Amino acid sequence: MWKDYYSIGVETIDDQHKELFKNLGDFIMLVRDKEIKWEDRLDKAKETLDFLQGYVVFHFDDEEKFQESINYPDIEIHKEAHRQFKEGINEYVEIFNEGGFTEDKMQEFSAKLMTWLIMHVGKMDQEIGKFVREMEGEGEQ
Amino acid sequence: MKAEYINSFYNASKDVFKLMLDLEVKRGEVAVVEGLTPSKDANIILGITGDFKGTVSFSFTEEMALEIVRIMSGMEMDEIDVFVSSALGEVTNIISGHATTNLSEHGYICDITPPQVMVGEYKSISMANEKALIMPMETNIGEFEVAVFVPTK
Repeated sequence: MWKDYYSIGVETIDDQHKELFKNLGDFIMLVRDKEIKWEDRLDKAKETLDFLQGYVVFHFDDEEKFQESINYPDIEIHKEAHRQFKEGINEYVEIFNEGGFTEDKMQEFSAKLMTWLIMHVGKMDQEIGKFVREMEGEGEQ
Repeated sequence: MKAEYINSFYNASKDVFKLMLDLEVKRGEVAVVEGLTPSKDANIILGITGDFKGTVSFSFTEEMALEIVRIMSGMEMDEIDVFVSSALGEVTNIISGHATTNLSEHGYICDITPPQVMVGEYKSISMANEKALIMPMETNIGEFEVAVFVPTK
């Protein structure tokens, strides 16, 4: 799932993004696996969902700390995007907890999560990379 | 219909396709259609509210729909299933979100309603008493259409 152009040039953040994409890829393969009955995939799917949700929070916190450390000017906009992203996940987790973990709903969710993640990393996070490069450029002069 | 309206959807499609799929989008000639508009295998409809009220639809062939999701996921897709529909719905949701942001820069405040994905059996889309502007968009992986419907006054 990971593509090199998602890279922002900050190693710790890129590594966390790779980890996110890898786990999301595993999650998607699991919820789309037609060879195994849904009941037999469900526990693993729940476990992966828990992990993903936790990892997203860990990564966003870490990324926000990094932004603070470099005095990133758009940190508040970025924090708000993180908040909305987490809210999007929480809304689905609520649906799952209330209505059961159906295969269709899990597939629907995994596709949205993929889209949100690509968009967030492909757009907002690229701005962090750009800022870091500009900062380094100025430092060299 | 103001040019900003259709342009904002073109620019948003271009930006989002570049960011998410690393694909260039070129626009074809815009056509005005009354009543029925042709549809493709996967059609996504979103409502627009606010200063511009109307509907926007995105139409993809099955081949292109599957290819978009294959690029995103890195996995082969063989049918427009829940996963593919959900991903397409979200991509068009993001495009429309960008389009409304573009419109707000022109002073028009709009919002969008959640995407409705219709697959297959619909041969045409009709919005009663509405004129549609249809804009074909070309990419390396095929052509899709964006239609913008606004109520006739």
